[in-house]
Formats: sequence, C-alpha cells, structure tokens
Amino acid sequence: MAENFPPMTSVKRWFVTTNHKDVGILYLMTALFFLIFGGVMALLFRIQLLEPGGIGILSGSGYNQSVSAHGLLMVFWFLSPFAFGFANYVVPLQIGAKDLAFPRLNALSYWFYLFSGILFAISFFQGGTFEGGWTMYAPLNVPIYTPAMQATTGGTAAILGLTLFVLSTTVGTVNFLTTIHRMRAEGLGLWNMPLFTWSMLLTVWMMLFAFAALLAALLLLSTDRILLTQYFATQQGSSLLWGHLFWFFGHPEVYIVFFPALGMMFEMFQTFTGRRLVGRKWVIIAMVLVAVQSFLVWMHHMFLTAINLEIKTLFMATTIGISLPFDLMVFSLIYTMVKGRVRFTTPFLFSLGALVLFILGGITGVFLGAVVLDYEFRGTYWVVAHFHYVMVSGVTALIGGLYYYWPKITGKMYDEFLGKVNFAVYFVGFNLLYFPMFLAWETPRRVFHYGEGLQIYHQLATLGAFVLGSSFLILFYTLGKSLVSGPDAPDNPWEYARTAEWATTSPPPLENFDGRPTYASGKLEFVDTATDGGTATPGEAARADLERASHDVAQAHGEGHADHASIWPFGIGLGTFVLFLGLSGMTSWVEAFHPEFSSNPSYLYPSITILGVGILGYVLFQFGVEQFEAPEMAVAERWPFEGIETTKLGVWFFLASDVIVFGAVIGAYVFMRINAGWMSWGPIPEHAWAGLLNTYILLTSSFTVVLALEMARRKSKKGLLASMSVTLLLGLTFMGIKAWEWSEKFAHGDYWFSGLEYSLYYVTTGLHGLHVVLGLLLAGFMIYRVLTVDAYLEDSRPVEYFGLYWHFVDVVWVFLFPLFYLL
Amino acid sequence: MQTRVDVFDEIFLVFLGLGTLVGIVVISYTLYNAYKYRDVDGREKDEDLPTLGELPTGGGGGRKLFVSFGLSAIVVISLIVWTYGMLLYVEDGPSEDGIEVDVEGYTFAWDFEYENGVTSTGEMAVPVDTTVWIDVTSRDVWHTFGSQELRVKADAIPGETDRTWFIADETGEYRIECFELCGPGHSGMNADLIVMEEDEFQNWLDEQQQGGGDGGSGEGASGDGQQNETDAGNESTDAQNSTNETNGGGES
Ligand code: HEM
Ligand SMILES: [Cu+2]
Ligand SMILES: [Cu+2]
Repeated sequence: MAENFPPMTSVKRWFVTTNHKDVGILYLMTALFFLIFGGVMALLFRIQLLEPGGIGILSGSGYNQSVSAHGLLMVFWFLSPFAFGFANYVVPLQIGAKDLAFPRLNALSYWFYLFSGILFAISFFQGGTFEGGWTMYAPLNVPIYTPAMQATTGGTAAILGLTLFVLSTTVGTVNFLTTIHRMRAEGLGLWNMPLFTWSMLLTVWMMLFAFAALLAALLLLSTDRILLTQYFATQQGSSLLWGHLFWFFGHPEVYIVFFPALGMMFEMFQTFTGRRLVGRKWVIIAMVLVAVQSFLVWMHHMFLTAINLEIKTLFMATTIGISLPFDLMVFSLIYTMVKGRVRFTTPFLFSLGALVLFILGGITGVFLGAVVLDYEFRGTYWVVAHFHYVMVSGVTALIGGLYYYWPKITGKMYDEFLGKVNFAVYFVGFNLLYFPMFLAWETPRRVFHYGEGLQIYHQLATLGAFVLGSSFLILFYTLGKSLVSGPDAPDNPWEYARTAEWATTSPPPLENFDGRPTYASGKLEFVDTATDGGTATPGEAARADLERASHDVAQAHGEGHADHASIWPFGIGLGTFVLFLGLSGMTSWVEAFHPEFSSNPSYLYPSITILGVGILGYVLFQFGVEQFEAPEMAVAERWPFEGIETTKLGVWFFLASDVIVFGAVIGAYVFMRINAGWMSWGPIPEHAWAGLLNTYILLTSSFTVVLALEMARRKSKKGLLASMSVTLLLGLTFMGIKAWEWSEKFAHGDYWFSGLEYSLYYVTTGLHGLHVVLGLLLAGFMIYRVLTVDAYLEDSRPVEYFGLYWHFVDVVWVFLFPLFYLL
Repeated sequence: MQTRVDVFDEIFLVFLGLGTLVGIVVISYTLYNAYKYRDVDGREKDEDLPTLGELPTGGGGGRKLFVSFGLSAIVVISLIVWTYGMLLYVEDGPSEDGIEVDVEGYTFAWDFEYENGVTSTGEMAVPVDTTVWIDVTSRDVWHTFGSQELRVKADAIPGETDRTWFIADETGEYRIECFELCGPGHSGMNADLIVMEEDEFQNWLDEQQQGGGDGGSGEGASGDGQQNETDAGNESTDAQNSTNETNGGGES
C-alpha cells in the first residue's frame, strides 16, 4: 500500500520495493559490484601474463576459471544489468509512465539477477567454477572432460546461475516490451520516443529472441550436466550444435550490450552539443536494421569450422552489411557536434571517448569480417582487442550515463574536476590495456604461454589494467563524495536537455510526475489530475479518464492508490536460488543410478533441492493470492497494440520467447538427427497410438479451456469449476499416459542417457511435459481461487491468459507428436 | 606460388594502411569538431535551440550524413570484394602437388600422420616449398590447430574434418599452438613445426618409421607413401588416404 511504503533509509524498503526507480538503483549498484568482481578476475590473470609461461600465481585450471568467470561476469552480470539499471530508472520517466507495466515482475527480475550472481559466486567454492570460457564450447562444457566430481558441481552451479540470469532477462524483457509499447504518454508516438528509449526498445526486442535461444542451449547443457543426457557430449555434431545455438544468441548479444550505450551516447551528445541529432530518422532506421540483421550473422564466429564456401560468403556479406548502419550512426554523432555548443562536462567526455573507441573497434571489426583475414585472427588477441574496444566503449558511454543521471537519481551534484580526472585516467588506462593487444595479436586467446617477443605488450597491458582499475576508485570516490557533501542538484542540471526525466524533480517523486504528462499539444505539459476531465475529486477524475480512454475498468481504483511493495518477488528469487543450488549437486545421484558410473552421493544436495521446492511452492502461492494494484496509465499511446490489454500483451511476448525456446530445442533435434543420417533412427516411443491418444486428449482440453472462459464470462461458478476441472483431469491423463510410456521404456533399459536419440526424445518431450505440469499447477491454483474467493467471475481475463498458455502447450505437442512418433 | 603468408601480408597491409588512414581522419575530424564548436561565451542567442519537453525532431545536415556514409560504405565494400578473390585462392589452394598430413588434436597434444602411415607426436616435419595439405580433427574436445608464422589455422572439432593448407618457404622451426580453450593444459598445448629440405624430410620420415615404430604400418605401405610423395597426383593421394585408413584402423 502506498501509504505505508517504507522510506529509502529503511532496509525493508529495498527488499519489498517494486518501484522502477528503486529497482533501477538496485540494478546499478549490483552491476557495479559484479564489475569489481569481474575486474579482480581480470587483474589476476593479467598478473599471470606478466611473463611468457605465467608467473605462477594461477594453475592452468585456475587461469581458465578466472578467464571464464571474467567473461561471464562482465558480459552477463555487469554490462547488461548496468544498462538495465538505467533503463529501469530512465525509460518510464522518458515515456511519461508511472512505473513499468508489471512492477512486481520487475522486482522479480532483479532478485533473479542478484541470486543468479550469488549462485555463480558460490560455484567457486564447490570445487571450482566453470572453466570452459564464456563461450562454453562443447564438448568441453560437459562433465566427462572435467572428471573430478567436485569440479562438476561448481561448473554446474555456474551454468545454473547463468540459467537463472537468463530467466531474469526473460521476465525483464517481457516487462519492458509491454511497457514501451503500451504506456507512452499521450502524444508520444513511437517515432517520437527519445533515443535512449528507442535503443532500449530494440535491445529488448533482440533479447526476447536471442536470450530464448540461450535459454534453450543452457537448459540442454544443464540436463547434460545433471541428468547425463548427451546433447553436447557426442562426437556427432555436438560441437557444432553448441556453436550454432550459442552464436545465434551470441552475436545479437553484442548489440544487446551495445545498444543501450549507444542510446545513452545519443542523449548525451544532443544535450551537451545543444543540437538535435542529425538524421534522427535514419539513425532509428539504421538501428532497426541492425536489430533485425543481428540474427543473420552468427556464423562469422565459425568461419574456421568446416562450413562451405557458399555459407561463408553469405555470412561475410551479412557481416559487412551490418557494419554499415553503424557508420551512419557514427557520422550522425559527429555531425551533431557541428555548429553546436559543445560543453566538455564529464558525461560528454565519456561519450566522446566512447565514440573514439568505438570507431577503432569498428575498424578492427571490419578486418575480422574479411574471411581470409579472420582465418588468421580467429582465436587470437586481435579478437580480444577488437571486442574490448567495442564492448568497453559501451561501458565508457554508460559510465558517462552514470555521471549524466547521477544528479537526477541522487539529487546531488558531483565534482566536475574529479569527474574529469576520472575520465583522463580511465581513457589512458583503457588504451594502455587494450591497444597493446593489437600489437600482441599473435598470442592465442586464453593462454599464458606466449612468444618471448610479445612480452613487452603483455606487460604494458597489465600496467594498463591497473590504471583502468584505479580509475574506478576515482569514480567511486567522486560519487561517494557527492553523496556526502555534494550540492543539491536542480531539476535539470544540463542546459538543452530535452527529455521528460529532466522536467520532474531530482530525485523524482514516487510516481514520477505531478500531474499527467502529455504531448498532445506538441510539447510536454502536465495535466492536473485533480481537474482533468472537469471533475473535482481525484478518484472520480481517474475514473472519468479510464472510461474515456480504455476498458480497463477493473483497475479503476488503481489510480492514485497503486502499490509499490511486495516481498514475494524476493521470496521467489530466494526459493529458485535454493532450488538451483540443490540441483547443482544432483549429478552424483544420477550417476549412482547410471549403469556405467558408480558414486556414493550425499544427502546434502537433495535436501537443499527439496527445501527449494518447498519455499518456492509457498512463495508462489502467496504471490498468486496477493492483491497488488500496479499504477495504471489511463491515457496512453499504445501503437501498434491498442487493441490488446496490457497483461495479455505480456503473455503474448512471453509466449513468443517460449516459441523460440521450443524452436531451438526442436531445431537441436533436427540438426542432430540430420547429422546422424535421418533414417538411421526410428521413432523411440513404442506405440504411435499412445501419442495419438495424447494428441486427442490435449486438443480436447483446449476446448474445455475455451468453455471455461465462456463460463467465467457468464459468471457461472459451477460451469467454470466444471470446465477447469475437466481441463485439469485431461492434463493429468496426458501426464499419466506419458508416465506409462516412459516406465515401459525404462523397463527395457532405455533411459535418457542410453544414447543421443534417447536424450533428444526424453528431453524434448520432457520439456513439453514440464510445461504441461506448470499449466496444471496453474489450473489447480485457479480452481482453488474459484472455490475460495469466487475468483474470475467479475474479471475473467486470467482465465483467458491461462487459455493462451494452454493452447500454446497444445500446439507444441501437435508438432512434437509427428516428429517423435511417426518420422 | 603464393603462400598464405604472402596472401595475409598483402591484405593485412592494405587493411592496416586504409584502416589507420580512416581512423586518423575520422577521429581527427571528430576531435576537431568537438573543439571547434566548444561552447564559448557571447554566442548569438537567436539560434533555434532545443528546449525541455519538445517532441524530438532531427537536426539538419542529412545530405552530408549520406555522403560520408556512402563513402565509407564504398571503402568497406570494395575492400571486402577485393579480398574475396584471395579467399577463393585460399579455399582452393595452390594447384601444385603437395603432401598430405592428418592432424589430430587431443588434450593436450597434437598427433600427425603422414601418407605412408608414419605418425609423430608433438613434432611435425614438412618439406620446404611444398604445399602441405592438412586434415584436422580432434579426438576429444574442440581445439584449433594453428601456426601463426605460417598463417595457417583450422578448427579441430570432434567428428569433423577441416581441410586446409600451407607452404613454408624457409626452413626452420616454427611453433604450433592451440587456439581454442580446451581445458587446464590448453596454455601449453604446443607442438614444433620443423621445415626441412626435401631430402632431409625423407630421412626424417624413414627415421620415424624405424625409430619408435609408432607408425604402426608395414613396410609396403611406407614404400607406397614415398613414391606417392614425389609424384603425387590428386587421385593417387586419395587412394593413399584410403590405404592409410585401413592401416591406421588398429590405432584409434
Ligand atoms: C563494425 C562492426 C563489427 C564487425 C564487422 C565485427 C566483426 C566481428 C567478427 C567477424 C568477429 C569474429 C571474430 C572471430 O572470432 O574470429 C567478431 C568478434 C566479436 N565481436 Fe565484433 N564486429 C563488429 C562490431 C562489434 C560490436 C559493436 C561488438 C560489441 C559491442 C562486437 C563484439 C564482438 C565480440 C564480443 C566478439 C568475440 C566473441 C568471442 O569470440 O568471444 N563486435 N566481431
Ligand atoms: Cu558476431
Ligand atoms: Cu587444445
């Protein structure tokens, strides 16, 4: 409840908050923590690199662990979440919203993120963390090649940590997509959105599909590591399967981490040059092109595999094609300065620095795009130098963003002089660290044995690493000093800033603006909510607004009484964390069961797993029954989704990402089967009729769900209960038949680890089965709600959303049935 | 006969030259603009300055933007098209005859198998000025075979064979390294590449054969192999490959 929302100084506030600004701050601070964590890893191996052959502070395995952890931490736990911190804080302000569309889910993304990082950190203490590089190439990523049982547990925990991180991004992605598409202030068309919001919109669109592919890859990898399936363990295509899945995610990922920084640069360039972006329209078009095309270049990371010349040519062309829109953006930034009033504030220095570094990174990227040159650069420090120039250019821009938004977030100004010193040390350190890597490019990546002649460059780089590291100490000092003794910041400390976040106080009030922001007149104005619609009391005004603009009548009381606190997102994060921690050590139990292995597993991990399931069950239930009113936008620009209600749109986005997850898993099946020779495998299930029967059962259950919705609309409690119960029963029957089929297979000794084709069968249908089980849990919960509180009779929409999910699960089966039972 | 070193040097030089030039020009122009348009006091106030809360519009100067963009696109595309011819050459390889070596990576060393069935671990000898075709694969995890000095590299992937070639035009010792993270010993997964005169190479092959007997193949096969090497045509090479496979069957 808004009234008893704890103040910022209370610790409780930070566990319960669902407010986007609070969550943004949490994201920023946590990301900076992981920056330090990943940075320490880097310093460790840079010290090892002082001499050819290493100075002996790290073992071979220790070196690989620190390199792998560094890459994973920086890309996943620092860079993306850092950008998401800004997105959380700034995007709702820029579009004139009060919060994100699903505030509790936003808090949930954060807690998943934090706990995923904690799980990753714990993996170091489970006999060593994952040591197969951030690209996690197969088959090195499965336990047979890290035989010590202990090492396997840590590695599995790291992979599960990453999986949890991906769950966090999925939730966040759905939330941002819905927010940006449905909650823009009146008059703020898509085309008119500020560029940071534009870049975030495109980022989350890319994330929706790219991270779904990664999620699929990680799920398969986790089953390999825990259940001993064989996706990535075979000599028959496993390596390439991983390569395709990973890079289908991996290349979009490089733009996913860079786009927010780019958007930030656009904002800062415009503000500090006092000019509007040159060719704004074309810049947006260029970004859209990049976002789409980013899914068509992944094989340039695989030029050295045995792919054929035609494919290489194609991917060379797409790679070069995708670099061209960036040229346009770079020139646009440069020309924006012309005739401007450039002020060299700290944020601008960082953005200008970022631009310079990006130009260098881009030019060296073109070298890699030429396949003949890539043959020689692949796996060397040239690649390392290239991607650090581009990615850390993004970091540079985001640090500029930290200075830029600092006064808004904290209400305090920082010391310009210190900020400039920070930039100078940062920029020198950066180039001292990464430029010598171009000169030392003949060094293979991730080794500490390198040629004698290259020593000087590696030593320079190590020196640069420390300089760069120390620049962050200056950063923290500057910001700390500002917090303690900085002067108060005005609402808009930056002359010529245009976007809406500068039109509210620093820091902004809980619901961002006094009055409702609107661009209806062509410029930002605030409509007094009290008089809006000609009525006097806020409650009535809100209602009038609603009736005029939308059919979200059920939320009418929400206006002005929105909630900002819930402890359950934290609870779900905790429960999932405990569950995943438990799962990380379950491999030995599967081994005990496996005919070819022997092990005597401990009861520790199963107990943790069960504890996790218990916590999760409880908190999910509480989450489900909690009354929570998200701040609603009565009047908003919603193109092109005017017709789809907010939560429903969220469900659709979620299903879209799930389509990719299944697409990737089914794709993996097709890829491996073609690799083995399609006809060399027959159907695994014994009886096609069982699958056919199950198809009928699921399709029937789709009808009963439709019926349930109709009953809810007619407010017939009995009808709703009956049709939901039939759905539940049909689902249970489906699972029963499935269980019978599997037990028959087990009786013949055919387990998921019995061979690749068995792995594919059990995991793909198992993933579908898991979806069915989740659906049944939902259905059970809904029946309980109907029984206890007469739910859904006033507002039938949850039944509709459940139906969408259920139909989706059914449709997936319609694909799986012929694929596994007939072909 | 162009070696891969020649190919690389030529392209790299052009890229480096143009890249440096473009980099210097663009970055200087950036910094020049930033400096030239720095904010100074007493500017005329009549400009159309951005204001807080305006709906964003773009600034002018779109034509200039497209000219620069077009120029950069032309440079990039023509560079890449130009390298494409070289790519075709590298893909096809020189037309001259050469020798064939099967390379197999495993944690953490390299095995080499010659046409006559001779095998060697950690040391690869090749004759100077001869095209060496390598078929690279892996016994366990993903490795990447490469020698920087000779500008040759190929992924060693279990279950796949990646074929490429190189020519060494000077005798001497070179370094073979692994370019894909493959486990705790990755850093030290090196081998020596020894380039020798043709007759020395023949001696080396004989030595290997008599020495450890690690070749595991009979006299007959080696005789064939040596003949093939001197007058190897493509067909006979293929034939030799298949005999090798039958010979080597017992080893793997
Ligand atoms: C001018 C545009 C660019 C081109 C033509 C380009 C091209 C390439 C190519 C061909 C590779 C593969 C190199 C190899 O492994 O052999 C590569 C690697 C990479 N690039 Fe770029 N790139 C560009 C921009 C970017 C940007 C903007 C980012 C990120 C912000 C980025 C991040 C990376 C990363 C992380 C890798 C290495 C991944 C790994 O192997 O660990 N690149 N780039
Ligand atoms: Cu890429
Ligand atoms: Cu290796």
